[in-house]
Amino acid sequence: MRRSLLSVLALAMVGASAPPEVAGSAASDLSIVPDEIHLTGSSARQQLVVTGNADGRTVDLSALVSFRSENPSVVSVDEHGVARPEGDGNTVIVAVLDGEEARASVTVTGMSIARPVTFERDVMPLLTRLGCNSGPCHGKQRGQNGFQLSLLGFDPTFDHNALTKEARGRRVFPAAPEQSLTLLKATASLPHGGGKRIEPDSEEYRILRDWIASGMPRDPEGSPTVVGLDIWPPERSLAAGDQQRAIVTARYSDGSTADVTHLAAFQSNESAVVAVDDSGLIRAGDRPGEAAISARFEGHFATCSVTIPLEGEVPASLYDDLPRSNVIDGLVWAKLRKLGLTPSPETDDSTFLRRAYLDAIGRLPSLEETRAFLDDPSPEKRASLVDRLLERPEYADYWATKWMDLLRPNPYRVGIKAVWNLDAWIRRAFRENMPYDEFVRTIVTAQGSTFSEGPSTIFRDRREPEELTTMVSQLFLGIRLECAKCHHHPFEVWGQDDFYGFAAYFAEVGRKGTGLSPPISGGEEVIFASGKGAVSHPLTGERMEPAPLFGEAPDPDDDPRRALASWMTDPDNPYFARVIANRVWADLMGVGLVMPVDDLRATNPPTNPELLDALADEFVQSGFDLKHLIRTIMTSRVYALDSLPNDRNVADVRNYARHYRKRLPAEVLIDAICDVTGIPEEYDAAAPGTRATQIWTHRVPSTFLDTFGRPDANQDPPCERTPDTSVTQVLHLMNAPSLHAKITHEDGLAARLAASDRPPSAIVEELYLLLYCRRPTEEERSVALAVFDEPGVDRRRACEDLLWALLNSAEFLFID
Amino acid sequence: MSRSSNCEGVSRRDCLRLGLSTLIGGGLIDALRLRGQAEALMPTSSRPTSCILVWMDGGPTHYETFDPKPEAPAEIRGEYDPIATAIPGVHFSRHMTELAKIADRLAIVRSIQHNQGNHGAGNHYMMTGAPTRIPVGCGAFVSFHPSLGSVTAYERGPTGGLPPYFSIPRMSRSGGPNFLGAKYAPFEVPDDPNRDSFRVRDVSPPRELDLGRFDHRRDLRAQLDRLERIDHDAAGDPVRSLDEYYEQGYTLMASKDAQRAFDIHSEPDSIRDLYGRTSFGQRCLLARRLVEAGVPFITLYEGGWDHHVEIFNALDKKLPPFDRALAALILDLEQRGLLDSTLVVALGEFGRTPKINNRGGRDHWSNAMSVMFAGCRTPGGQVVGATDPRGYAANERILSPENFASTVYLKLGIDPDKIYYTPQGRPAHLVSDPTPIAELMG
Repeated sequence: MRRSLLSVLALAMVGASAPPEVAGSAASDLSIVPDEIHLTGSSARQQLVVTGNADGRTVDLSALVSFRSENPSVVSVDEHGVARPEGDGNTVIVAVLDGEEARASVTVTGMSIARPVTFERDVMPLLTRLGCNSGPCHGKQRGQNGFQLSLLGFDPTFDHNALTKEARGRRVFPAAPEQSLTLLKATASLPHGGGKRIEPDSEEYRILRDWIASGMPRDPEGSPTVVGLDIWPPERSLAAGDQQRAIVTARYSDGSTADVTHLAAFQSNESAVVAVDDSGLIRAGDRPGEAAISARFEGHFATCSVTIPLEGEVPASLYDDLPRSNVIDGLVWAKLRKLGLTPSPETDDSTFLRRAYLDAIGRLPSLEETRAFLDDPSPEKRASLVDRLLERPEYADYWATKWMDLLRPNPYRVGIKAVWNLDAWIRRAFRENMPYDEFVRTIVTAQGSTFSEGPSTIFRDRREPEELTTMVSQLFLGIRLECAKCHHHPFEVWGQDDFYGFAAYFAEVGRKGTGLSPPISGGEEVIFASGKGAVSHPLTGERMEPAPLFGEAPDPDDDPRRALASWMTDPDNPYFARVIANRVWADLMGVGLVMPVDDLRATNPPTNPELLDALADEFVQSGFDLKHLIRTIMTSRVYALDSLPNDRNVADVRNYARHYRKRLPAEVLIDAICDVTGIPEEYDAAAPGTRATQIWTHRVPSTFLDTFGRPDANQDPPCERTPDTSVTQVLHLMNAPSLHAKITHEDGLAARLAASDRPPSAIVEELYLLLYCRRPTEEERSVALAVFDEPGVDRRRACEDLLWALLNSAEFLFID
Repeated sequence: MSRSSNCEGVSRRDCLRLGLSTLIGGGLIDALRLRGQAEALMPTSSRPTSCILVWMDGGPTHYETFDPKPEAPAEIRGEYDPIATAIPGVHFSRHMTELAKIADRLAIVRSIQHNQGNHGAGNHYMMTGAPTRIPVGCGAFVSFHPSLGSVTAYERGPTGGLPPYFSIPRMSRSGGPNFLGAKYAPFEVPDDPNRDSFRVRDVSPPRELDLGRFDHRRDLRAQLDRLERIDHDAAGDPVRSLDEYYEQGYTLMASKDAQRAFDIHSEPDSIRDLYGRTSFGQRCLLARRLVEAGVPFITLYEGGWDHHVEIFNALDKKLPPFDRALAALILDLEQRGLLDSTLVVALGEFGRTPKINNRGGRDHWSNAMSVMFAGCRTPGGQVVGATDPRGYAANERILSPENFASTVYLKLGIDPDKIYYTPQGRPAHLVSDPTPIAELMG
């Protein structure tokens, strides 16, 4: 199968997609990777890749060169550049293209020592690579047609049993290995739900057959284990349509290395931009962008970052001349330069004003504030606006609401008073601008009564160490351990040992008082360090000692959570500051440097790692000051870019060459409608005049907020609110009687404007300033004024219809 | 295209479609192959099928509905005598008189069981066909997997401007779209169709506005909505999906078929009376009208089945109008030639305890429950499975929520063995055991 694929790709390269410079003699500086090869034992092999220079960039010429061994009795090499040992000795492999040569020296040893094919080293990687143990196949919870493997091979003993002992041993048949059910099925000689996975003449087949023939041995005790993985090249810039073969090398505990390219599983995090096939052949798509290509082998990962710059030259001076307000700008411009993208221009004052208000405090500016800002000639007015906004009381409610989404449980489950307390505590933390490390430490080590200590409510809601583990690791470290509870995540390094070691920090959380009794659950509980309790490993039953996921943590004292919190919030913990910096960046910029925002891992790298590092450093330096972080971002030039693209950034959705639009969040939108119309909303269990961003629980009924996607308090955390629009939303905006009542209210804006003695043009201007934070253009003014002149339309009706039309427009509903 | 793009320029929905199949080899191949198998089981009638799912929230008693146990001791069998049905030898409980008369159209499954004895988890299991991933409590509204209705919306899409999934009057605990996204959430109709003032919310302009004025506003909006759209697809401008939804909204408002479906007041009194002049009765009637207009999935959420206390007093009032409305719905669908293409199912999260408790009620019991099926070529006049003579547990032809969900999906033309990929790339089987209840497949 690999053969046919390769020849097709090779043809494609020679044909249309290969630039003539590559195929022709202009290609130069032929080089071979690796240029020094040590092959130990008959099962060793080495993938070779030959590169050259064309058009000023490195190109993979492996499919065009011819390979030759100078001594075929020492090493053979096939047309795909795979070297295999034939006999002990030294020789050279030569790659030739148009008379040019590249040479790799080869040493072969250990051919007389036969290494047996063993389960962990040879067979398990195959089961993973062929997809046998994947979630949709035999790795699913009940297996497939009675044959179950551990998901992605996290339990070798279980898998060895499943293959060799279950099904009355029919899966393997050492006496006649070819008749083993495993091989008959995998080659589809017998009907197989998964179809044909291997060819009878393939290397995979040989490995499985030899393993069965030799009695299905496991790895001997003390066998070398994989300690790390490297991929070559670690990074590469490709032109659209280019290909690049990857080489994956495993490092073993005994210091040896081996080429495992043929055993590794490959994945692109942006396969529409850069794809990778099963053999590790990377292929750039037809448009600019970038992607991380991950190789996985035995629970280890290596990542190659690939960029496809936009074609065409951009003069360096363009980037050099771009303004730099702070550390952010230079790093974004550097990234754009690498991709050949150019930024959109700075946006106008109105757009900036509206964006800044909605992003920083979740509300629109008043008429007076808008006029004052637009008329202010000061060149510093944007920065001083940001400073003023961050001191507004609405700042606390708006940013606290984001944390409510993530932290605040369902009052029907844990009780009204407990949830109210937590809500109040979070709001206070934001009012006082509590340093973020203190905020998290207080939550993770919460003690005391749920009736007086808000954060302890979290431990009333999440009662098992396992639940606390998934929540705390994902929210505050951006590490998703949920998968690791049961199996190694396919593209994640964490396993069950990590999960239960982390969970052990929560083993001794004690609870006194009245437990949960939904749907009222009004009791009081006191959270304390009980000094007893344990977490055990689900496979081994072993009692787990608290252990950090990496690095060193202080020894646990009488409350192990303190050691955990101290390790988590340490300025040197690379995850802690990055995940919050990424969250805040995503809130303000529309998309995170890492997406999803709480999924930080090697196989999901940031689009601009230097920028995320810089933001995290800045945040740590400031003493974990969230306002400082927000101010830094909002005063950058990058934040102030226009959303409209130019022809060198139109396809950019991850590198901030332009500002990305987002719909107003549910609470902000209803508050904006209330502010504009002058008619507030009334909420159950809330004081009159309460704004949506001040509601103490998402369980307060509101058709509007539900329609616009506020989170459901009891979904699996952390609960991301939906930014999507939907037909239900637009029907509600157009037709909801409650919104109609605000537009037509006797005390509302439309009635007030209609009753005033102002001329229609002043009314139109006021509407535009209120809803869009700008004055209408001449054309808009004339369309709007025409409404006042229509026969049978009075001023009141004209005002209402205009208000309705503007409320239902994209410019109102989106932050531009 | 939605802003929640996570492949560059590819929306979340497209990702689901593409299945991110490169993540784990073979997923797509499996899905294609199995679709071939599933097609053999899927309906072939020319009219697309619909489902009306009557959700009896709280967990309806199996004893007092479809699985009476007259031979059991008094503290188990309760106060109601069984009654004969149109199926010889099969009995329902006392108040199920109208459904008993049409039992030849019904298939009663008495042997579905699971192990989730609280509302949050039981609702999730029956509404989605998947158990909850972590234990959840009674008050929980949880969503780990898309509901039957949201999956149907995703697979079938809107017809004639009508949303594909209604939940009336509101969504049940786990009736949402989960990772499929807000677009596939149910359209709720909170108002009571038994009131003279009833209207389906938001689908027509406020009463005070005449249509001419709405059209005027619409024109005005078209002229004033000037935020420049980014035409290039790769830019993923979320404003363009807003435009799409406004167009869909206008289509729905202008669709005579849709508006006719919503106008329950145009239904003749004789038909409205047939269903009973109750909120539930009129919601059944509204569901029939929506089915006529082509809506593929309607959940009728009917609360009040959590009878921990005084169960017989409560059921004396609750069951007769419920029985009448449900029977009227099935007969009305049949008379209109819609029953062959419409699946009607009635169930809750579980059954109830055998022994009457000391407050005269029955508590949660997931070892046994009865589920009623009718229509969509379900062979009628049969009882599938059985509980033991005292109704403690299913003991014959024991079936699971997965079997239930697979049956519903296949009737709707959806392959239950499909694999979806969450936006994070985690593969999720639509139903982990895609085996339908064979007796119901006709």
